[in-house]
Amino acid sequence: MRLVVRTVSELCITVGTVIVLFVVYVLFWTGVQADSVMGDQIDRLQEQWAQGGVRPTGTADPGASVAPPKPPPYENGKPFAIMYIPRLGFTWNKPVLEGTDTGTLKKGLGHYSGTAQLGQQGNFSVAGHRRTYGDPFKDFPRLRPGDAVVLTDGTTWFTYRIDKGPYKTVPTDVEVIDPLPRKSGYTRAGRYLTLTTCEPEWGHSHRLIVWAHLDSTQPVEAGKPAALRR
Amino acid sequence: MYGWIWRHLPGNAWVKALISLVLILAVVYVLFQYVFPWAEPLLPFNDVTVDNQ
Repeated sequence: MRLVVRTVSELCITVGTVIVLFVVYVLFWTGVQADSVMGDQIDRLQEQWAQGGVRPTGTADPGASVAPPKPPPYENGKPFAIMYIPRLGFTWNKPVLEGTDTGTLKKGLGHYSGTAQLGQQGNFSVAGHRRTYGDPFKDFPRLRPGDAVVLTDGTTWFTYRIDKGPYKTVPTDVEVIDPLPRKSGYTRAGRYLTLTTCEPEWGHSHRLIVWAHLDSTQPVEAGKPAALRR
Repeated sequence: MYGWIWRHLPGNAWVKALISLVLILAVVYVLFQYVFPWAEPLLPFNDVTVDNQ
């Protein structure tokens, strides 16, 4: 009898310890891992770009057009751009990878495959974690219309300006990443950007959305866009 | 349970303590490396997309 009681209490203590360890893992360790993985992804991109191996700069003359040359399709699970959002912090930058698989979203933000490519006509849609894995979109509700979302693919800087959001919706509302999202207030086709994350912070009952339009582009040779200068 | 393990470890108290420590570290490693990464997606924090595309 005493043996049974002792074993049961030992098991309870063990389970409790494992749960505490799991909380440590979710809250802390995923962040540590994600920071290092995202750093690696950004390093890899910058290395690629430094070698000039991604794609030719194209013939577009600087600043003249809002239409960069059409890039080749993105490779699933591979990084292709870096996103900067000054509102989320001056040093906030995250890699954007192709696809929104669980594994991909651990390494950075995920581009919905099937939506427009960066800077192209349509809706460039990106999802990111609100919590865990480095908390990339933790401060998502602080985004306001007029805020800049800057992306670079190694050859061009794309500055998007937020027009609407954060807008709360349900997970089945796939319309929000349509080329012309109905609730965004946009009335004609254009070059848009959609960011999605989960709401509430630790839950999954809703999603938060912001919409932005392409404001300006400039080649990387022209230096950082105004939105990123201090 | 732990008493049984302790009695079956070889050596004197110091050796037993050392082996126990290694065993604990091994268990924590397996948890962090294999068990938690498997269990974590079952929690709702991963659902950041619309319609789980």
